Amino acid sequence: MVDEYNFEAPLVMHIDLNSCFASIEQQSRPRLRNRPVAIVNRATEHTALVTVSYEAKALGVQPLMRLHDARKLVPSLVALESDPAKYRYVYKKLLAIMQDYSAHVTMKSIDEGIIDFHQAPVSVQSKGLEAIGYEIKQRLKDEVGVAMRCNTGIASNRFLAKTAASLNKPDGLDVITPDNLKQVLGGLKLTDLTGIASRNKARLNAVGIFTPLDFLAASEETLRRVVFKSVDGTKWYRRLRGFEVDDVESKVGRVGRQYVLESFDLTQDEVLQRLHHLCESVGWRMRRQNLAARGVYVYAKAADRQYWHACQVSPLPFYSNQAIYGIARRLFSGAPEGIREIGVHCYELTSMESMGQMSLFADELARERAVVAATDDINERYGERTIVSANTIDTGIYVSQKIPFGSTRYL
Amino acid sequence: MNDELVLNEQIDVVALFRPGRTMCEPIKFRRRNGREIVVTEIGLRHPRAHGRRTVHVFDVTDGSADYRIEFDAESLTWRLTREADKW
Repeated sequence: MVDEYNFEAPLVMHIDLNSCFASIEQQSRPRLRNRPVAIVNRATEHTALVTVSYEAKALGVQPLMRLHDARKLVPSLVALESDPAKYRYVYKKLLAIMQDYSAHVTMKSIDEGIIDFHQAPVSVQSKGLEAIGYEIKQRLKDEVGVAMRCNTGIASNRFLAKTAASLNKPDGLDVITPDNLKQVLGGLKLTDLTGIASRNKARLNAVGIFTPLDFLAASEETLRRVVFKSVDGTKWYRRLRGFEVDDVESKVGRVGRQYVLESFDLTQDEVLQRLHHLCESVGWRMRRQNLAARGVYVYAKAADRQYWHACQVSPLPFYSNQAIYGIARRLFSGAPEGIREIGVHCYELTSMESMGQMSLFADELARERAVVAATDDINERYGERTIVSANTIDTGIYVSQKIPFGSTRYL
Repeated sequence: MNDELVLNEQIDVVALFRPGRTMCEPIKFRRRNGREIVVTEIGLRHPRAHGRRTVHVFDVTDGSADYRIEFDAESLTWRLTREADKW
């Protein structure tokens, strides 16, 4: 087993936009710069904060706080509703800047991405990654705006590059090498490491690992056999030493949407309307990725935090909104009372081309496909939700499109 | 939430089209009531798709209020859609 550190030159760069949505709003509205700003997904006092500006963080406001609690803390807090089109534009600008340096760019979410310089041209590599990091920071200011800042981390693998990018916020640039690895880890807590939350922390604590330095000192065998009881232990052993173990492409496993009801006293029909809206949205997303599904999963969260779910797998794949809603509605008949949140996911995904299998209902399916293709064509030409089911014609004001955190598939 | 006004007002705009951060720079605009607003900073310009039609959204300020003006690249018209004089 490898017992050394990875001594190759650090060629992985992690870029993380600082307080992304709040910074973008401060960029677009100059009078909000240097002021406490919070971004929310819905214009109500009970909504949770999605992002907060550094000025708000300095006053004790944190993401996920409820707006009315944050306002008690900072009465001058400016709350703005999220503007997905604007954030998507900045995401695309950042992606374009990053792609100027390497063909191997992976966006991890709307506000962070990785540039792998291993196969970048010598002319790019010879500039030095630190110089490139500062250049990217400057380009972000020149090409998007002066209020935009990003944290940059450089290391020999993705994990350490992300760790480096979190060291000095905002606007930092840090490099982790085997020379300073122990010094950097010595200043962190276990939960500062990406991938170590409460459960993994408890596992590590159970064997006497309380700090990242203890974690680094643990043997591969201890991590594999005792702590993680799987190959994950070996991965952590290598990850901490700068070897790349996270360069894996994730496959789309499911497509879904959820919605917290705008009011908790909606009738069953009104809840079903919103479920129908979600099914239309999921169907549209799936078809834009050329996917069909065989499974539908629906869930509901009740006021007492009770979680209810149901699912069904069909023998043949489907992709029309009506097919998804038909199954979801049937499944939803068993949902409990007093629902606060609903969600629908399609899974067992397959390519739309693979749906050529003959069926007893071939004519009916062909008609359905023609209708779906025609409505999608109109929606693509004139805008999403130009044609929708009559049932969901007035749900758009509630179930509006939000920014997908953690995935860049729909950007 | 805040005191932003949502509007849909056609406006007359003087703009410069030249290479740069936003490519198109609204310099000043005149509202239906005759009031002229001189843009002191363009915060951000971003495109928004309405199907295959693109509208370019400009968030601008004159120093005392923030405005959103939108340029419809198909009909070549400008509209004032947001105004906020205090946050």
